Amino acid sequence: MDILSGLMQGFAVALQPVNLLWCFVGVVLGTVVGVMPGLGPPATIAMLLPLTFLMNPAGAMIMLAGIYYGAKYGGSTTSILLNVPGESASVVTCLDGYAMARKGRAGAALGIAAIASFVAGTVGVLGLMLIAPPLAKVALAFSAPEYFSLMAFGLAMVVLLAGRSMLKALLAMLVGLWIAGIGTDPFSTTSRFTFGRLELLSGVDFVVVAIGVFALAEVLACMEGRAEGQALPVPKGLRNLLPTLQDLKDCRFAFVNGSVLGFLIGVLPGAGSTIASFISYGVEKAVSRRPQEFGKGAVEGVAAPEGANNSETGGALVPLLTLGIPGSGTTAVLLAALVLWGFKPGPLFISENPSLFWGLVASMYIGNVMLLVLNLPLVPLFAQVLRTPGFVLYPLILGISIVGVYSVSGSLFDVSLVVAFGLLGYLMRKLDYPAAPLVLGLVLGGAMERALRQSLMMSQGDLSILATRPICAVMLSLALLILLIPSFNKLNAWRLQALEE
Amino acid sequence: MRKRIAFAAAAALAALAASAPAWAQGFKPTRPVEVVVHTGPGGGSDVLARAVALMMEKEKLLPVRMQVVNKTGGGGAVAAAYLAEKKGDQNTLGFFTGVWLAGPLTSAEAKVTLRDLTPIARLVLEPAVIAVKSDAPYKSLPEFIAAAKKSPGQLKQSGGSVTSRDNVVRQLLQKSTGAQWAFISFPGGGERIAALLGGHVNMMVIEPAEAGEHIRAGNMRVLAQVTDKRLPGFPNVPTLKEAGFDVPAVPQVRGVVAPPAIPRENVAYWEDVFHRLTKTASWQKFLADNQFEDGYQNAAELTRFYDEFTGRMRGILQEAGVKLVR
Repeated sequence: MDILSGLMQGFAVALQPVNLLWCFVGVVLGTVVGVMPGLGPPATIAMLLPLTFLMNPAGAMIMLAGIYYGAKYGGSTTSILLNVPGESASVVTCLDGYAMARKGRAGAALGIAAIASFVAGTVGVLGLMLIAPPLAKVALAFSAPEYFSLMAFGLAMVVLLAGRSMLKALLAMLVGLWIAGIGTDPFSTTSRFTFGRLELLSGVDFVVVAIGVFALAEVLACMEGRAEGQALPVPKGLRNLLPTLQDLKDCRFAFVNGSVLGFLIGVLPGAGSTIASFISYGVEKAVSRRPQEFGKGAVEGVAAPEGANNSETGGALVPLLTLGIPGSGTTAVLLAALVLWGFKPGPLFISENPSLFWGLVASMYIGNVMLLVLNLPLVPLFAQVLRTPGFVLYPLILGISIVGVYSVSGSLFDVSLVVAFGLLGYLMRKLDYPAAPLVLGLVLGGAMERALRQSLMMSQGDLSILATRPICAVMLSLALLILLIPSFNKLNAWRLQALEE
Repeated sequence: MRKRIAFAAAAALAALAASAPAWAQGFKPTRPVEVVVHTGPGGGSDVLARAVALMMEKEKLLPVRMQVVNKTGGGGAVAAAYLAEKKGDQNTLGFFTGVWLAGPLTSAEAKVTLRDLTPIARLVLEPAVIAVKSDAPYKSLPEFIAAAKKSPGQLKQSGGSVTSRDNVVRQLLQKSTGAQWAFISFPGGGERIAALLGGHVNMMVIEPAEAGEHIRAGNMRVLAQVTDKRLPGFPNVPTLKEAGFDVPAVPQVRGVVAPPAIPRENVAYWEDVFHRLTKTASWQKFLADNQFEDGYQNAAELTRFYDEFTGRMRGILQEAGVKLVR
């Protein structure tokens, strides 16, 4: 009943014309920021902060949150069309999204991404509304050992991202883990593998590597095979550009998986949307009836991660609003904004500012509907990009990649780095090494190293801390199970062969 | 002829008008001022810089706008190097913290130290409090220290890296009491609080404004404040000295620097602008809201502060067994 009256109050706030306008401005800006590789929500929100002082806090909060979740909608666009991830959370979308585009199903991929984003975004808000305070308490049970086991679980997904050779996948993953180690040691502040370069002190940005091994490697490969340099097929007619009923059916589980996993991982202050998208992709493939289709344009492979990175926003707002604890760059800026407006974010924030909280929740329902209505008509338009002939399209991808990388850090060093990773990606492709495990290792490596070292500091070097904590033990067993799946399959194949003989 | 004289007079007047303020006040920025910070959007320096930019505009202290530029990485090393590259640039400033002084001690790549840049002013001292979870058995800092002595290395504190203020406070307390407890680094501030509230660590050094809300909600208790005199928000909590520990109260420090080779008159101009800022009502309110202390020092005092800070940090890092490169 409390929730219902709260929600009524919230809609009364969110439906005020001026707040509706701010919501619309926020989601449109968010979509644009999401589409553009490089420029992300934290920088955009920070730039708009001075403007928000002229607005009432509810409208300002509604607009800034709109940018946050709107960017997750836009992020998939360049991943699918150009193999250039628009946001770090959309890297894994490249795998199946771009494969779909190459098969002439770019429209379906974009459409399913928008629908999955809508479903999961709405579920994320529902979670935020219904179970935020108790869930925040549960999230506190998570500490370093649990984060380590979560990352180990994620890393075990490598067996699902491997191509023909498990050995090559593991090697690529190890390279990714090594790249994650470059930079400044987070504990002792000594430098590692920096080769005396100042620019490497902060490590190698994950977006730089992802754009290199995905987008640039793709451009190089296409330049080599001239026949493939032609425009990709784009079917005519609106009907053929949108997802089919069969697509939606195939994605049933992906919607649930993305929504739930994304939200739960979002609630943890130490994980984030990139990790959420990778894990839900892995889970989707692990339970799929047709895992062999993944990486070749499976529509679920787009729906699961795109859903996860949207419901993650709802989850990430849980620790921010119930405890005043930011879990990511964007929530840190939102926290700073709340403080600058004169609020005191913390455990009492919701009970003392009910109209702000409920207004935000209500606006997120409205914003998600706006985003769906805004994004679906754009699908046919975006899909036309692929009609561009190769001699225009590939230089364009090259340009977008370089501008995107430069805009992340404003450093030319990163531009040369992306070229190096592009060459690495091209070589890996030639030698049949999959790029996804490398990116996976890089995404999880840093957090995993920190969590392991924190755990061992807590236990004074006793490794049993990882086995004796229940959440930890369960997740490590799951990781082990995933690692063993391929050997079971082999065992089974061998048994069948033996039976036949 | 008459027209000509009038024209000449007007021209002379115009020239006078143009040169008068220049003669009277010296340097004035003509383009928007770029303010370099070493944290990403939402980080401590970023928030301070954006708040200062807003206040400058509100109080009309600057003829131009301030734009915040985030040069993240290397614990301030990237931002410092960027400023060093801007040698002689009159429209650039940087907001530093103690990390800019501590970083070059442990990192060979961090070649630019604060000494290579032009000091302008110190602005803020951020005090801290020592907090435990509200259901912890320790009611006071001596009780915590006694518990730590009973089981050396068993109690845990969450904090930042080894060069962070959190660790400095720990090292000073350990040295003066002989107690030992573990220090667990969490790069994100949120994770540190989550680790304390989740009961994974026993104690943390936290900023008063952040702790305030958790105390009000009954989640945390404050044992002592790392200050020289009691903060208005914590009238009943003893300072370190009052609790019986003779250790210096180490504040987090924030201030302003300019690129190298800036004319003396520019420094005087900026000193004046920031000094006037610290006298405004907006600034006082900002300090009170965040429970910061006014830490204004001019350029000359700031240089002396560098030495004092670096000397103390060097000793602490050596004791912590960290390899120093400078």
